[in-house]
Amino acid sequence: MSANARGPVEALKGLVRRQYFWGIVAVALLLLVNLVKDPGYLAVSIGPSGNLAGNVIDILRAAAPVILIAVGMCLVVATGGIDLSVGSVMVVAGAVSMEFLKDAPDTVGSTFTALALVIAVSAALGAVNGVLVSVVGLQPFISTLVIMLAGRGLAKVITGGQNTAATNETFRWIANGYVFGLPVVFLLALLVAVGVGLLVRRSALGLMLEAIGMDAKAARLAGVNRRALLFTVYIFGGVLAGFAGVFATASVMTVDVSRTGYQLELDAILAVVIGGTSLAGGKFNITGAVVGAILIATLDKTVVFLGVSSSATPAFKAIVIVALCLLQSERVRRVFRQRRAAGTARPAEREVVAA
Amino acid sequence: MSAKQRIVQGLGLATAGALALGLTACGGGEGGDDDGLTTIGFVAVGPEGAWREANEANIQDTFTEDAGYELKYAPATNLDQKSQIDAFTSFVDEGVDVILLSATEATGWEDSLKRAQEAEIPVILLDRGIEPDDTDLYVTRIAPDNIEVSTAVADWAVSAFPDGANYFVLEGPAGVSVVNERNEGFDAVVGGQPSLVKVGAQTANWSTEEAKGVVETVLKSNNNDVQFIFAQNDEMGLGAVQAVQEAGLTPGVDVKIATIDGTKNALTALAAGELSFVAEYNPLFGETTLEVVEQVLNGDDVESSIVVPSATFDSPEAAETALPDRKF
Amino acid sequence: MPESLPIVEMVGISISFPGVKALDDVGFRLFPGEVHSLMGENGAGKSTLIKALTGVYKIDEGEIRIAGEPRRLGGTADAQSAGISTVYQEVNLCSNLTIGENVMLGHEIKGAAGINWRATHRAARETLEKLGLGHLDPKQSLATLPLAVQQLVAISRSMVAKSKVLILDEPTSSLDANEVEQLFTVIRRLRDQGVAILFVSHFLDQVYAISDRLTVLRNGRFEGEYRTEELDRARLIATMIGKDIATLKSLDAKASRRVRSDEPPLYSAKGIGRKGAISEVDIDLHRGEVVGLAGLLGSGRTELARLIYGADRPDSGEVTLDGEKAEITTPAKALARHIALSSENRRDEGIIRDLSVRENLVLAVQARRGWARPLPRREQDALVEKYIAALGVRPADPERPIRLLSGGNQQKVLLGRWLATEPELLILDEPTRGIDVGAKAEIQEYVAALADDGLAVVFISSELEEVVRQSDRIIVLKDRRKIAEIEGGHGVSADSIVTIIAEDALGDERADAVVREEVTS
Ligand SMILES: Nc1ncnc2c1ncn2[C@@H]1O[C@H](COP(=O)(O)OP(=O)(O)OP(=O)(O)O)[C@@H](O)[C@H]1O
Ligand SMILES: [Mg+2]
Repeated sequence: MSANARGPVEALKGLVRRQYFWGIVAVALLLLVNLVKDPGYLAVSIGPSGNLAGNVIDILRAAAPVILIAVGMCLVVATGGIDLSVGSVMVVAGAVSMEFLKDAPDTVGSTFTALALVIAVSAALGAVNGVLVSVVGLQPFISTLVIMLAGRGLAKVITGGQNTAATNETFRWIANGYVFGLPVVFLLALLVAVGVGLLVRRSALGLMLEAIGMDAKAARLAGVNRRALLFTVYIFGGVLAGFAGVFATASVMTVDVSRTGYQLELDAILAVVIGGTSLAGGKFNITGAVVGAILIATLDKTVVFLGVSSSATPAFKAIVIVALCLLQSERVRRVFRQRRAAGTARPAEREVVAA
Repeated sequence: MSAKQRIVQGLGLATAGALALGLTACGGGEGGDDDGLTTIGFVAVGPEGAWREANEANIQDTFTEDAGYELKYAPATNLDQKSQIDAFTSFVDEGVDVILLSATEATGWEDSLKRAQEAEIPVILLDRGIEPDDTDLYVTRIAPDNIEVSTAVADWAVSAFPDGANYFVLEGPAGVSVVNERNEGFDAVVGGQPSLVKVGAQTANWSTEEAKGVVETVLKSNNNDVQFIFAQNDEMGLGAVQAVQEAGLTPGVDVKIATIDGTKNALTALAAGELSFVAEYNPLFGETTLEVVEQVLNGDDVESSIVVPSATFDSPEAAETALPDRKF
Repeated sequence: MPESLPIVEMVGISISFPGVKALDDVGFRLFPGEVHSLMGENGAGKSTLIKALTGVYKIDEGEIRIAGEPRRLGGTADAQSAGISTVYQEVNLCSNLTIGENVMLGHEIKGAAGINWRATHRAARETLEKLGLGHLDPKQSLATLPLAVQQLVAISRSMVAKSKVLILDEPTSSLDANEVEQLFTVIRRLRDQGVAILFVSHFLDQVYAISDRLTVLRNGRFEGEYRTEELDRARLIATMIGKDIATLKSLDAKASRRVRSDEPPLYSAKGIGRKGAISEVDIDLHRGEVVGLAGLLGSGRTELARLIYGADRPDSGEVTLDGEKAEITTPAKALARHIALSSENRRDEGIIRDLSVRENLVLAVQARRGWARPLPRREQDALVEKYIAALGVRPADPERPIRLLSGGNQQKVLLGRWLATEPELLILDEPTRGIDVGAKAEIQEYVAALADDGLAVVFISSELEEVVRQSDRIIVLKDRRKIAEIEGGHGVSADSIVTIIAEDALGDERADAVVREEVTS
């Protein structure tokens, strides 16, 4: 399958082989279920201010913060790490921006100052993770757990335990505005995802991160600067989480110290896994993480659209996710492959000692 | 830069907060009765939100030295029950005169309460109840009544929609007792009104942001044919307001929204006509508590459950009159 | 030779992987009480045949009979219950467990309350003693041991299982002469007890020393089964490579001595050392010179190599490069100064299993450029093509994950990785480990040619002959310190080095005696 001469059929075959293919299937199925309930579900109309409006647009908007943290998480997971602190970084970012905007004039300048503050604070929290992981050598799970616990406390201290609200039209526009008829948040998230995807594949960053995640010792001996790369990746994940926090708080212009970003690290991890990146590190897939994030948003929206009761919601979500993971599982996939390639042998075990 | 300073300060405070519990516990010893003050141990929830802050500040402001009390305030660290039990135990060991308890979790208090009973220290529950609800283990529970508050919302809804309406409920987290009680009170009244049609209910986990997302979808799935939204707390109600606005509708006109709690933010929105009804869940029961404490110390009998009266606000004018001296 | 019933009989075995037919209608027999060597070039299919027998790979066609009974081996557990134990080419132990736990894994001695650790450790010690490894503490963590000792531990583990068939896939590639002898003693003892032993090695001397019978594979096909005495080396090699032996004549030719110019050394270290690894050494390395590090296992050869490369941070000493002071404390810094190290531990410190041949090959070059300056794909392909051809990597498919290559071919890719960085100083720690006779000669020639062109080379091998043959100068190490430095050339042989080491040991004893006298007097 050379990249140059790929027909549409080949491209489709390539897609089917991707792990996130099943994520796309799941999104399509959920949309279909909604469509059955309401034939007008997929309709997109022109909204009050010339923007596009419709359920699909809502899904894209809801997916935006998850896309950001999933992209960051994807890189961290590729290095064999994990970042549990993203949800807390989100709330800290929200707290910092709301506290600042509360007393600041409602100008574009204030928005940019708030964003600068967010970048500074979230980068600092990411840097703490980075130092704990790469210099101190703590396990990523523990290091980021510390920030996860401390972060929410920090947010409470910043706002004095209050759910601070503020007004700033430009800041609000980030989460509620439209460009070319599409939600700004989604366009920004997509831009980040595409940007990171290109950066990682066009430069050698992807190869270096995978090398670290697959075999840290061998990568070090091959001259890969593990420490600097880990540091960068955690800072980057922090900043992305900071922006996700901006998205979440700008939407309602209120930071909710106990709810903003709460448990979103789990959504991010789930999105990454659905996207076909193994938590063991190594090969990663940014597109997959984006698909995963969109799936999670679709699932959340579907639950409300179908009117699933609050108490049944967790079970509904769990069933969808488990079904998806089954479809993605190596064993089930092997059955498919074996059918396709009947006749050629497969090793009885995949992970054998190469000799 | 002010924000930066704030954060540095914040970090300091966070550490201080962690130590605070230990300090109160240790510092209590020399307090004693020699200065003629009655010692009250307050096992509190700590930072949780505006309502809680108003509530605990009110208690602290009531039991002052001028009033003849020494209040020992022990907030939980990170809403952790263990830290509450530790604080409770050290209050018992210290021999305070009365213990006030706002439990972060309802279960698991039997042993601690029995120890207090053996030490003959009366315990008064504030706001949060315990489970199983063994009234022998404490003197009384002082709290506003969720059922009463949500019944008030329902009564208002019945009168506000004489021609009927489609309504949606924004709930707190599934399974929490507050949510169950607020549903119970509301459904008891509204269930008997066939003209009020429930189009659905979903949790938005007390969160403004989630509520906005939920309402956005609910409006679409019902083609905007929803006239009334009952939000079980103010934050969710404010999120609903924004979703209604984004959908091109006017809150208060096309969709009326009622909330429970009565925070300043909600009253401001009510004054602006964005919310239509706010039922207070009154956090200010310092005075009531003080009276009960005095009765208990005098050896008088008290009811095992005391309901704190809550107000309701059904118009912008009512909100405007209440706003200037709103404490939370 | 007992012409009794074969314990293992493999008939008409074929196994294909996407793009390769690794085994094509291969037959193989193994009798009780014999040592049977499986011979073939890198990638001939030896490891694949072994994995078919141990149930790791499913066979496409053919039949496996064990003690006359046709058996379907669905997994390694099946093979173990059929009495087959294996030591794989790549050491495959749990490095976070202790030696004892590794030896006894799956055979722990149970007591009333779960595992009786004391008895288990005692049994482990007995097993180790049988292998002449009595000096090892079963409670020590495996990770701390040198690779060769880990290999011996892996062998003791398979002895615990009391198997009828013992398979050893290149067990000797990192052992020195003494240890090989130790191992052979054990193998002979097992053979005499009636165990059938399947042995794979690229060292012809060892093959002739131990085997009763040979089976030769070429390109996945069966070439023949011979009694060792009926096939001499020349004909064995010819059968393996399918060509005349003449092409390999250079194998034994002594490289002509390079004359060192009077230029100052490229690399010079004064008193460089690291506590617990190697005591302070002075070492000069010149352009165009091959310096061998000789010594027994544990003498500090690998440790010294790692110190020069910055893989471990030296805690004393000073380094100059071309006369200028240099800080080489990490591999990245070493690479930046054009120093490269090919590690002896291919599996853990060499290949990155899930990356492709191309990615593995360009990794070090790319790491030196930094992630922001990616090597253009065209240049990558050119590099990969160059080294695949130069080192004869097979299959020549750059996009194949490296783990799917045979052991020898993985090693060639790694050599390519380091050569691609265009080093000025190249440190080779057991570079020809697992590489077949033909390829070994080619690689040695290649390295010699690079040295002629001005590359400084440090060469480490457990085979003293190889060190002597390759090196212009030899540094002899013992007990983690340098004991001698000798010019290569006539008069230097493996024996003379052994003598130096032995004399040093005698000197130690004498010194000890002096100390003891002083103490008593
Ligand atoms: N799992 C696999 N998938 C694809 N190809 C494989 C796999 N395992 C082995 N091969 C291929 O099969 C061929 C035989 O490999 P094998 O490991 O048996 O060689 P070998 O004789 O043991 O070589 P060496 O002496 O280098 O260890 C090689 O071309 C190798 O690339
Ligand atoms: Mg092999």
